[in-house]
Amino acid sequence: MNIGDFAFLIPLLPALAFVITLFFGKRLYSGGALIPIGAIGASFIISLLITINILQNPDQVIHQSVHWFAIFNLGILIDPLAAVMLTMVSFVSLLIHIYAIGYMEHDPAKPRYFAETSLFTAAMLGVVLSDNILQMFIFWELVGLCSYLLIGFWYQKPSAAAAAKKAFLTTRVGDVMFLAGIIILFASLFQAFHGEVPEGVYLLQFSEMFNHIDALAAMNATILGMEVSHLTIIALLFFGGAIGKSGQFPLHVWLPDAMEGPTTVSALIHAATMVTAGVYLVARTFPMFLSAPDALIIVAYLGGFTALFAATMGLVMNDIKRVLAYSTVSQLGYMVLGLGMGAVVGLEAIGVSMFHLINHAFFKALLFLCAGSVIHAIGTQDMRQMGGLLKAMPITAGTMLVASLALAGFGIPGTSIGTSGFFSKDAIIETAFVFGEYSHDWIPYIFAILAALLTSIYIFRLFFMTFTGKSRNNAKAHEAPSIMTVPLLILAVFSLVFGALTLKPFIAFMERTFDNNVISLNIEHLATLGNYDLVLEHGPEPLFILWLPVIVAVAGLLISYLLYYKQVIDVSKVVSRENPVYKLLYNRYYQHKIFTELLATRIVYELISLSADYFDRKFIDTIVDGIGKITMSAGNFMRKIQTGVVQNYVAAVVAGVGLLIILFRLIVEVI
Amino acid sequence: MIPIISLMILIALIGAIVTIFTKTKEHARIIALVTSVVTLVGSLYMFFNFDSQSAALQFVDTFEWIPSIGVSYTVAVDGISMPLVLLTSIVIPLIVLYSWNESKNPGKFYGMILATYAGVIGVFTAMDFFLFYVFWELSIIPMFFMINMWGGPEKAYASIKFLLYTHVASLVMLLGIFGLFFGAYFQAGITTFDIPTLLSQYQLFESELARTMIFIALLIGFIVKMPAVPFHSWLPHAYVQAPTAGTILMAAIMSKMGAYALFRFILPMLPFSGSADLMITVLAALGVLSIIYGAFLALAQDDIKRMIAFSSVSHMGFVTLGAVALIPLSVSGAMFQMFSHGIITCLMFMAIGAIQTSTGTRLISELGGLAQKMPKLAFLMVAGFMAYLGLPGFSGFIAEFTVLNFSYISLPGYVLVALIAIVITAAYHLWALQRAMFGVYNEKLGNEIRDITNLQTFSMAVFALLALYFGLNPSPVMDMIITNAEQIVGLMATAGV
Repeated sequence: MNIGDFAFLIPLLPALAFVITLFFGKRLYSGGALIPIGAIGASFIISLLITINILQNPDQVIHQSVHWFAIFNLGILIDPLAAVMLTMVSFVSLLIHIYAIGYMEHDPAKPRYFAETSLFTAAMLGVVLSDNILQMFIFWELVGLCSYLLIGFWYQKPSAAAAAKKAFLTTRVGDVMFLAGIIILFASLFQAFHGEVPEGVYLLQFSEMFNHIDALAAMNATILGMEVSHLTIIALLFFGGAIGKSGQFPLHVWLPDAMEGPTTVSALIHAATMVTAGVYLVARTFPMFLSAPDALIIVAYLGGFTALFAATMGLVMNDIKRVLAYSTVSQLGYMVLGLGMGAVVGLEAIGVSMFHLINHAFFKALLFLCAGSVIHAIGTQDMRQMGGLLKAMPITAGTMLVASLALAGFGIPGTSIGTSGFFSKDAIIETAFVFGEYSHDWIPYIFAILAALLTSIYIFRLFFMTFTGKSRNNAKAHEAPSIMTVPLLILAVFSLVFGALTLKPFIAFMERTFDNNVISLNIEHLATLGNYDLVLEHGPEPLFILWLPVIVAVAGLLISYLLYYKQVIDVSKVVSRENPVYKLLYNRYYQHKIFTELLATRIVYELISLSADYFDRKFIDTIVDGIGKITMSAGNFMRKIQTGVVQNYVAAVVAGVGLLIILFRLIVEVI
Repeated sequence: MIPIISLMILIALIGAIVTIFTKTKEHARIIALVTSVVTLVGSLYMFFNFDSQSAALQFVDTFEWIPSIGVSYTVAVDGISMPLVLLTSIVIPLIVLYSWNESKNPGKFYGMILATYAGVIGVFTAMDFFLFYVFWELSIIPMFFMINMWGGPEKAYASIKFLLYTHVASLVMLLGIFGLFFGAYFQAGITTFDIPTLLSQYQLFESELARTMIFIALLIGFIVKMPAVPFHSWLPHAYVQAPTAGTILMAAIMSKMGAYALFRFILPMLPFSGSADLMITVLAALGVLSIIYGAFLALAQDDIKRMIAFSSVSHMGFVTLGAVALIPLSVSGAMFQMFSHGIITCLMFMAIGAIQTSTGTRLISELGGLAQKMPKLAFLMVAGFMAYLGLPGFSGFIAEFTVLNFSYISLPGYVLVALIAIVITAAYHLWALQRAMFGVYNEKLGNEIRDITNLQTFSMAVFALLALYFGLNPSPVMDMIITNAEQIVGLMATAGV
């Protein structure tokens, strides 16, 4: 028996746990929490064993496929990329489920909570191991559903109900682009097959897609007078899906609002796993991006911009979870930026980006869970009402410090001493430097460095405001129970050492993703299709470049230390409604006004929808009723020729039918 | 060989007549339930014994009826009609269960449901134009009474509008049928109403004008019934005023009559209609217009039943779009959409009916926070809304994805426009949920609100599970559809479209 034969259980077990917990959770311990925990634990073990197998033998990936309907299939593909993602998702999900036993202890709707998070885990694992893009899209949407349900978990709160809707609709915009990408991809492949798809060939399988990249590259469409490759269109539409799910500019607006859900949900879905699905999608379809001209450059710019843009807003938020939410958006920007660097470094981009994805999952989940521990203890999310929690909550504070150091990227270049975030984020920043060196385009690098500075400032602002100084709150804070602190400690260990232990082998392992018994691609050839000049060897970067990220991180720490710990200047003077920069940031660049009030309410609802309704009632329906009225008055007039003599009627009917027949005959014969 | 289809129609008719004359609610509903369950068994028997590999007519039952004018009684099913017969026979017993406590004229109420049932099964299976028309009318008349006797405040206006609008359309359709009949008579000397014969004769008509006019006459009859924008204005009135059972009959089943005819008559005739390309363009445009316009109108509604009514228009647009894209699998997707929409729409209107009976209002602005008082309804309603907005995992996604994906091959521009509607569709569904079901409970609704009954839960859960089942495993229905879709498109391809 091969462990790969059990791969289908990875998403199936949590899905079954969903059904059981939903219907029988009420009668079980802690709302049935143990069922998802057991199921996800089993998924984690299977994933881990599979990963170990693939690590030993990266050529032999797991691929299974069955016919589904029409000309589509369902299948499992576990290659290096999927394997590490599966392991990470099931692992983090397991820890957060355990933590949630403590965190959700007093919530009466626990069974629903555990059922939904379990379904989420199943769907997320499904996204990861799909062997075709349609199935991936299906799980992708299910993940979105779970996100909707869990953001709106406390649906009695109007703000939660609104946030859930906003999240679903905003990501839906991305999803439609993703769907359009699939449709165009299918039509293009269908054309490549000249409309004759042999039995047993499933066009939307990743392996089929990649094998026909040459044919796709030959197809061009003209948009607004520009010749655009089909591949670029498809890749960018997929990227549209990623923008929605992974909270990239301009569709990031839902993610901060999503913090209305329980903190464990934010940690699991809106930090560690679901929001990385977009990054995973781009990595999964990376060969298409690599052979699509211009696509990777757009990816790089958007990622870099998002990293910086979100960080600016993270500086001024007062809600502890919102700071972390903007931080997530910003870090996702880094991952996307890392993928875009594939324009120069090829497959290494997947390695650095995925490496940051995994490390980020650890330390960001940890940050959220620590925040959850604080919220659990004092019952507010507003950092202005926190402070001085260090003594009361030493474990939380300690693990939070570890996570903050990891996020800010503290470490010593040239050695293997450093937090996970140091190794992963610096890998992206260094790749951006390589990109700048070879393409003389320094913008991504500048974005990345500036964002690193801001990251350090906002995260230590959060730390100092929450844990140091005087308590600004009357609640009696206490350390969380051990069911919550143990997951914190485990995540803290990973945030500290995972990066240092795995950097080089991890990236090398990722680069093996597209070279195995199922998919074997010539990367250099693909890059020439996309007009990218790959740099295969890039030596050690200058010392200053290696140290710069650490320098800005320390600078950020110092700034925060001076402002929020020593309080050398009175921050409240800067932070006032009078200051236009602060106002702009605090109002989040007026996105809410632009998207929700102007676009959604004014334009879509009031301008288009209500006027269509008016048109329908007043115009179309009036015409119909008008015809009725005309007929009635005509009838009233015609009534005068009603004689009441049956013979007359019969004569009229016969004449009428006769006329019709003659008319018809004429038509038939004359023409 | 037992004539199953004829027996189903006969049982439904007898059941209808008997029920009308019963005195008590208890008798009426039991007879209605037994009748519909017996016919369901027949329908399931056909479904499981249906040969999905064959495009030919199956379970044929035929005899001469009025030989002098070539009228025969022929009923049969193929891959186009089998899913719809199945759908109908699943829906009817559940409607009866859902409206188990109807106490206003119960005998006539259940009788009308069964009469409509007989008519609809007849429409889907009749292979003779004369018979087809008889059943077509048979299904409209009981529906008129349904709206007129059990409807809401504006029932008189709505029922008359429904009757006149659809009736005028069916008269135009009748003219088209006469055209076919006389055309065949004049040209080949055949007197027959047999559908396959007349359709093959139609291709041979020399006069292009006659062909075009017959085509348009039939098309008008069907497209009003579906309905497609701009012939939809009877729909919001009829759907909203009808009692829940009536709305479900109209939305889930009767709207499929027009759509069914699209595949049975319009597509085989299309290549010979004189200007096939123009017709395709017009129909594709009407389909996309229905999708988009219906979605925006749904967004504007405060009455949640009216919202779902327009949503229904929007969803039926996919049927038109997929049908005229003329790719075997886009046509299949369109047919699957009929089946899927039939299932999901039942769930939607049942949920709204439940809201109305327990709160006394359907206006979203007067609701709020209902989920706290009606958790079972909220659960099923969220499932229904998700299925309706095309969430993968439910049958609606399979249908819409298949339509969009394959229509893009021949009608790319139209599909790209239709994609916009996906966001709008999600928007009005979720917005309605947010305002009606979530948030703070609206105290004005009082404390008397009770959750749905067990029978209602059961009926709605069956539809939710069916939508889920066919969303995960569409093949049982899809396979039989594909066989016939390939045949239709194959015939058209030989005709050069």
